[in-house]
Amino acid sequence: MIFPAPFNPFFLLEFCARLAQVFHMPVRQLSEAVINRIAAGEVVERPASVVKELVENALDAGARRIEVVLSGGGQRLIRVTDDGAGMTPQDLQLAVDRHATSKLPDDDLNSVSTLGFRGEALPSIGAVAKLSIITRTKDAANASEIVVDGGRKGAVRPAALGAGTRIEVRDLFYATPARLKFMKSERAETATAVEAVKRLALARPDVTFVIAAEDRPPITYAAQSDSAEGRLARMADVLGADLKENAIAVEGEREGVKLSGIAGLPTFSRANSLSQYFFVNGRPVRDKVLLGAVRGAYADLLHGDRHPVVALFVTLDPREVDVNVHPAKTEVRFRDSGLIRALIVRSLQDALGTGARRASTTGATRLVSFARPHRGARGHVSWRGSAASLRSGFAEAAQEAFAHFEPSADARPSFALAAPDLLDKPLGAARAQVHETYIVAQTRDGLVIVDQHAAHERLVYEKLKAAMERDGVARQILLVPAVVELGPDNAAALVERAADLAKMGLVIEAFGSGAVLVREQPALLGDTDIEALIRDLAEHMAEWDAALPLERRLLAVASSMSCHGSVRAGRRLKPDEMNALLREMETTDYAGQCNHGRPTYIELKLSDIEKLFGRR
Amino acid sequence: MKVTVERAELLKSLSHVHRVVERRNTIPILANVLIKAGKSGLELKATDLDLEVVETLPAEVKTAGSTTVPAHMIYDIVRKLPEGSQVELTSGSDRGTLAVKAGRSRFSLQTLPESDFPDLAAGELPHKFSVATSDLKRLVDKTQFAISTEETRYYLNGIYLHAVEGKPAKLRAVATDGHRLAQVEIAAPKGVTGMPGVIVPRKTVSEIQKLVEDAGEEVEIELSPAKIRFSLGKVTLTSKLIDGTFPDYGRVIPAGNDKTLVVEKADFANAVDRVSTVSSERGRAVKLSLASGKLTLSVTNPDSGSATEELEVEYSSDPLDIGFNSRYLLDIAAQIEGEKAELKLADPGSPTLLQDQDAAGALYVLMPMRV
Repeated sequence: MIFPAPFNPFFLLEFCARLAQVFHMPVRQLSEAVINRIAAGEVVERPASVVKELVENALDAGARRIEVVLSGGGQRLIRVTDDGAGMTPQDLQLAVDRHATSKLPDDDLNSVSTLGFRGEALPSIGAVAKLSIITRTKDAANASEIVVDGGRKGAVRPAALGAGTRIEVRDLFYATPARLKFMKSERAETATAVEAVKRLALARPDVTFVIAAEDRPPITYAAQSDSAEGRLARMADVLGADLKENAIAVEGEREGVKLSGIAGLPTFSRANSLSQYFFVNGRPVRDKVLLGAVRGAYADLLHGDRHPVVALFVTLDPREVDVNVHPAKTEVRFRDSGLIRALIVRSLQDALGTGARRASTTGATRLVSFARPHRGARGHVSWRGSAASLRSGFAEAAQEAFAHFEPSADARPSFALAAPDLLDKPLGAARAQVHETYIVAQTRDGLVIVDQHAAHERLVYEKLKAAMERDGVARQILLVPAVVELGPDNAAALVERAADLAKMGLVIEAFGSGAVLVREQPALLGDTDIEALIRDLAEHMAEWDAALPLERRLLAVASSMSCHGSVRAGRRLKPDEMNALLREMETTDYAGQCNHGRPTYIELKLSDIEKLFGRR
Repeated sequence: MKVTVERAELLKSLSHVHRVVERRNTIPILANVLIKAGKSGLELKATDLDLEVVETLPAEVKTAGSTTVPAHMIYDIVRKLPEGSQVELTSGSDRGTLAVKAGRSRFSLQTLPESDFPDLAAGELPHKFSVATSDLKRLVDKTQFAISTEETRYYLNGIYLHAVEGKPAKLRAVATDGHRLAQVEIAAPKGVTGMPGVIVPRKTVSEIQKLVEDAGEEVEIELSPAKIRFSLGKVTLTSKLIDGTFPDYGRVIPAGNDKTLVVEKADFANAVDRVSTVSSERGRAVKLSLASGKLTLSVTNPDSGSATEELEVEYSSDPLDIGFNSRYLLDIAAQIEGEKAELKLADPGSPTLLQDQDAAGALYVLMPMRV
């Protein structure tokens, strides 16, 4: 409503009249163009979503090779070329209409097996940009082209193209200038668009992907076999080569739901969760259930603000999952999310349990790279400096006599001869303890340095944890049951999981709507702040659907008990004790890192040592 | 100020007051003890803003005056002075130091002006009564163990002291941490009726426990809803009270427990202590299996083994299995004075009542553990 610039006394009257006009407007059907623009707001949020939709279409068309070209952050131009099935001119005419798709053959939304199905992408894009589609089926005489410009559909014309489809989107959002204002920098938009292609590339190792954008060298992911090896190779291509050495294959199946993928070692963690990739039936998703499950599985392996690197593929009957939750299809609903969570947590823990006995190799790599530039650093000692140090050095020399007094106890590092059969063990044979803190062990092809306190702490902790799992958590009944006000949603969510909580020693029940009554608490926690615990739990439950805070508190107690019950730094270990520690680390789950996620040992390969000395 | 005082007297008084002073302070004056010389002798005063202890002691005062010096330091100095020596305290000429002389030792301590020293004692304390020292000791000693250390339920961080009307009227102390409860009462002293129920904080309780050792026959108590003062001979302790509502504890004291178990207290405590040796974890339960005339205590720890012990007891109800936190059982057993303790049980999920069979006036409630 526009106000008249010079104020006059009749202004109010006029204003009311206009208001009345607005309120008396008749209801009418919105035009197709407006509907498409509204829908576009949901499907086409930014260039990355256009790229995603188009690449998904290409994949659904059975393409073996997909080329993506971006210009101006995808705003000026997005071109996706594939060698898929293509479309006939009749199909092409229909394809740019709303809710027209080839992908739901029997109109069954319960079993969606293609990436797209809503029939919204092309008309939505056409509504906000200049869209051109050239396509040709294998046996068509020539290709056809259609142009949609800001929602105005042109006629189908003959064009030239080999088999497949080429879609060009130019001047994205020129028809909805408001959207343009929300675009980030070209660089940032390019990065998210490339990220979107990467996600799809991870899902389909059997397809070749080429991504070209102005500000970066073109990336080519060559097609791999559609097997576990092929997938790993693609992951290494996409996520970086050091992933291979620092990740473990994850495999699991339960009640027809299959899980595969890789999990990064806890010591190979990142500061954010962007390096977590999830695929449900080949569809890249970012789902709370999945994210939460991964968090739960890594709960006591990582420090709170670190995130693991994972790529997980969930395969299940399409009827067990609803992908039609959000137009962009990044969220899904599982019919049985508890099953999915349990499967992920269990499979990850199984894989990490054996795998996390390893610590990541990056520690050693870092060491090598730090150490190298030291060559020749001592070359510049001036003669002046040395004269001065000579004078003060005299007094020190006098003191030095005292430094060699033998300590009353034998504090020499203990040495051991390597028993040859121990050299073949993963952590090798203990050779010496240095600084009464670190165990140096020799393997066939390198050297292992173990932090004895961190390592033993983990061993004790794992034992306590196992005991807790085996015997359950002892429960102390409360004399005065505590009532905690939570609000109806949180309270209901918590009460729903009462059975699980009881296993961990916390017995609650509903107390009216919006409150819970705590009857029993884990005896381990002693005199604790129940209310804070319950609130924490409820909030976590609402977000992640998991009882992590309680688990974490119990484990924190176990953790501090294990800290007190373990061999400290400064304790001298005999060769047999050191070897026993190494052998136990080899057989204990998660022995590769201490309770705080730091490595318990680092391994230096002989080749690394040779690098340090410039032999290689 | 110039004053001479017996080292032993000074040491004893300082040992009383210096405990109140926290080791680390953000307000410098709180690290100090106020020393005031007047007609009646020497007065020492220390505070942590919640609690104030004042003690007077005889001294030869040459010049009256007052100053403050670091409490822990002067205590350490006096402690290390030779026995039987006379200590002379003199304010320095510049009033910035206090000279401490004894024998051949000379100390000069930095002082802070006494005008900065906080005064907690101000305000009316309308309710006044006195109790026998032994009674007060009983009230606090037997309930102190059950005070909660958990700070969000701050109203449980102390002993709830209140008058109970009836015939005869009682003065009652209650403490609970949500797992167990202790209740002790004495015959109401004169002047108690009408007093508000007050929660005496944990630190004050532990100070009283130490101070009653050197107190006379009677302790005078004055209180208002916000403050309480104990006058124990030459020592006066004034404390703020916890501002909160103590829960309605009466509801959790079971009335209908019909299964009565009587044990020899010493045997029982020793047996609990013995079997709980095999439990490693904190809060590990001990299981009590009751049959006619027989009690079997058992602890199982899958990591290290198990332990059982049988006791002959007075019990004639139906067999019952019930678990308790062994530390809680030992805590309560330690409070039982007589030879026999009586336990009144209902079922493994309900509160159990423990009492001294010989001495009335004290009862304990303990919640079982799930075993």
